[in-house]
Amino acid sequence: MTKLAQWLWGLALLGSTWAALTMGPTLGLELPLTCREVLWPLPAYLLVTVGCFALGTVGYRVATFNDCEGAALELQTQIQEARADLARKGLRF
Amino acid sequence: MATGTDQVVGLGLVAVSLLIFTYYTVWVILLPFIDSQHVIHKYFLPRAYAVAIPLAVGLLLLLFVGVFITCVMLKNQKVAKKAQ
Repeated sequence: MTKLAQWLWGLALLGSTWAALTMGPTLGLELPLTCREVLWPLPAYLLVTVGCFALGTVGYRVATFNDCEGAALELQTQIQEARADLARKGLRF
Repeated sequence: MATGTDQVVGLGLVAVSLLIFTYYTVWVILLPFIDSQHVIHKYFLPRAYAVAIPLAVGLLLLLFVGVFITCVMLKNQKVAKKAQ
């Protein structure tokens, strides 16, 4: 099974469980009121949590990414050389 | 380690994401278990907004992505027409 199929399968499973539990009372299942209060915003909550996790991970990796001074300078000089070379050969920027 | 603005922006993002996560967790998960007369309820909007606001923000994001793609595609079309 492909990764996409696995993800869709998992999502369908969780989604149907949530739907069954939230619509339960209309079919006869009785849950305490606090549980139902926590249950019905759950999909939105999970989405926001995943979004926050992604944002936090990106921010953390940006903050801890190592600078390479030597490589940066070398790259800049190589860019200048390449520009001069191509300009000589007639390519306009 | 990254330096200067990189660190500031990165740590700022981490702080924002933690803030949003804790506020939203308290709002959705903890509030129903807290007695409705407690003073903490003053700091949180009615529960319906807990789904409405993320939904609206998500739709806005989709709108921005769509508008951005449209602008880029129009710009490419114009460049291609000029080059003809």
